[in-house]
Amino acid sequence: MATLSSDLIWEITRGNSSTLVKRAQSGGVSFSRDTFNLRNKYSRKYEGLVADKAISVQPGQDGGIVVLTKKADKANKPASHIQVSSVPAKRSARKTYAGVINQTAGRNYRSDLRTDAVARASSIRKSQKPVKESPPKKARGKKAQKSEA
Amino acid sequence: MSRPTVTIISGSGEASTDTIPVPNVFKAPIRPDIVHTVHTGMNKNRRQPYAVSEKAGHQTSAESWGTGRAVARIPRVSGGGTHRAGQAAFGNMCRSGRMFAPTKVWRKWHQKINLNQKRFATASAIAASSSAALLLARGHNISTVPEVPLVISSTAFADGAIAKTSAALTLLRAVGAGADVDKVKSSKKLRAGKGKLRGRRHTQRRGPLVIYNPEEDGKELVLAFRNLPGVETSSVYSLNLLQLAPGGHLGRLIVWTSSAFSALDKVYGTTTEPSALKKDFLIPSAVMKQPDLAKIINSSDVQKVLRPVRGGAISKRTNVQKKNPLKNFQVQLRLNPYAATFSKNKEGSKKVEKAKPTRVSDSFIEQVHEN
Amino acid sequence: MVAAKKHVPIVKKHTKRFNRHQSDRFKCVDPSWRKPKGIDNRVRRRFSGQAAMPKIGYGSNKRTRHLMPSGHKAFLVHNARDVDLLLMHNQTFAAEIGHAVSARKRVEIIAKAKQLGVKVTNSQARVKTES
Repeated sequence: MATLSSDLIWEITRGNSSTLVKRAQSGGVSFSRDTFNLRNKYSRKYEGLVADKAISVQPGQDGGIVVLTKKADKANKPASHIQVSSVPAKRSARKTYAGVINQTAGRNYRSDLRTDAVARASSIRKSQKPVKESPPKKARGKKAQKSEA
Repeated sequence: MSRPTVTIISGSGEASTDTIPVPNVFKAPIRPDIVHTVHTGMNKNRRQPYAVSEKAGHQTSAESWGTGRAVARIPRVSGGGTHRAGQAAFGNMCRSGRMFAPTKVWRKWHQKINLNQKRFATASAIAASSSAALLLARGHNISTVPEVPLVISSTAFADGAIAKTSAALTLLRAVGAGADVDKVKSSKKLRAGKGKLRGRRHTQRRGPLVIYNPEEDGKELVLAFRNLPGVETSSVYSLNLLQLAPGGHLGRLIVWTSSAFSALDKVYGTTTEPSALKKDFLIPSAVMKQPDLAKIINSSDVQKVLRPVRGGAISKRTNVQKKNPLKNFQVQLRLNPYAATFSKNKEGSKKVEKAKPTRVSDSFIEQVHEN
Repeated sequence: MVAAKKHVPIVKKHTKRFNRHQSDRFKCVDPSWRKPKGIDNRVRRRFSGQAAMPKIGYGSNKRTRHLMPSGHKAFLVHNARDVDLLLMHNQTFAAEIGHAVSARKRVEIIAKAKQLGVKVTNSQARVKTES
């Protein structure tokens, strides 16, 4: 079964897609819910739904990072067209990024998304750290300070 | 060239070794613009006329008082003894007046759509249903679907095997369409707005569309599937664009029975041979044979007529920060190849050789003064 | 909370509202801006001492347009899933919780935002517990 070209799919779906999230605020922004969109930005380059090769970087079950890639020749076999590989939580930052690259750009797979994949892996790592307690609010104004004391 | 094929999936969800060639409709060009216009037209054809009462706002004998009484010349209710007397009537700006341009039952409710356009749109919607990306973009949950188009062996439906809803649900779950049914089930919400009062109380998503061949699969399955939320059934011989592309959006998840799938060639014919059932209908062919832009650009035909990239492998960078060559030696080197030798020999700090200036020859002075 | 990206200073060229001419004199004249169209109108003719009319020159620098004083742009969220969209944009966008979101879900959203380092503009609303 011949698959459609990415350009055609993009032209069909660019105005209307289940992954598109639009807001009128801030001069009209559009984000994408697509897991295969590394920047969550609704554009031809980043939208993974459209591309026959795309990368997804997700947080793993117990820390670490999961890298998903699409198998280009399985485009019409949804149940089996995603390749999963994971980087355990113990890995250092550099090794994590190297792992992400080895799965993707290092194999000539969407090398245009190398920095984006690493950037996403980095933000996910950051988000997996324990959250710091925010410092207690200081009382503002003379009256409040007096009542505190 | 052999035609592409799809695997037939058995009723229990296993992929069989049987394959079936993909019918020619799936090669039809995908034209969202045509599908959209046909859909908006067709969607209007189920409307019932409505209008306000012909008499509304006119059930009074109001007459204008004319000029000279320091009130507006709008018709006013005649008589006395009640508050209504003397109040303005009829106008759309009046309390209990008629509305502006009262709606009429003879409004143009229905739309005629050219038959060929309708057929084009249907063919286009069928072709779009074979792309997993378009199904995902429509919002179908197809992560467990083994292959699109999803074709199920007709043996699963033989002799009214699917006559009960429970059997229908197990079948859908087995072939990987269960997630989409569950999505519909959990999506039922109260409609926002007045539609609640007008018989459209809830909204919900649309699930898979089961397309069968009534001659071979029988019609029991219609009863089996009809109580599953979001699941619709349709016969191959009477496909409806409103089901194939709900909302005018391409890419409905379709569950084909194998007999329905193979009947498609009979229903739609090919690009050169008219269909057996639709008079004079040929499957439209795409204007652009190769829709992949990257392939066109990288093709040898295009590449050989392009002029070579200027500057070879190194191209000039635009928008770079200006560097001061007097401070940045590497930049200076680029501008002045002699700078390296100049600094190596420390020529900048060399004393000027101080010898007595030699006198210019007399012939030179003579030449200058020659007049 | 991640601080916003550095940006050029935000300059608002006109911070007062543009009120409709004579809206201060009559209750029935709404202060929403309407351009005066009269042939003798002094505001339209830009006489000295008259109210200024809005024009394109009052527009903000494109780089600071839609920016909040913190340097973020606002993005309306209704659930924790919406916050996920801002994972890669926590330097440019801040989440703003929709007004109809319940206190229970606000707690979820704020916890998620904190995890991702996303600023929430109205994180104090509704979630305060009595002490």
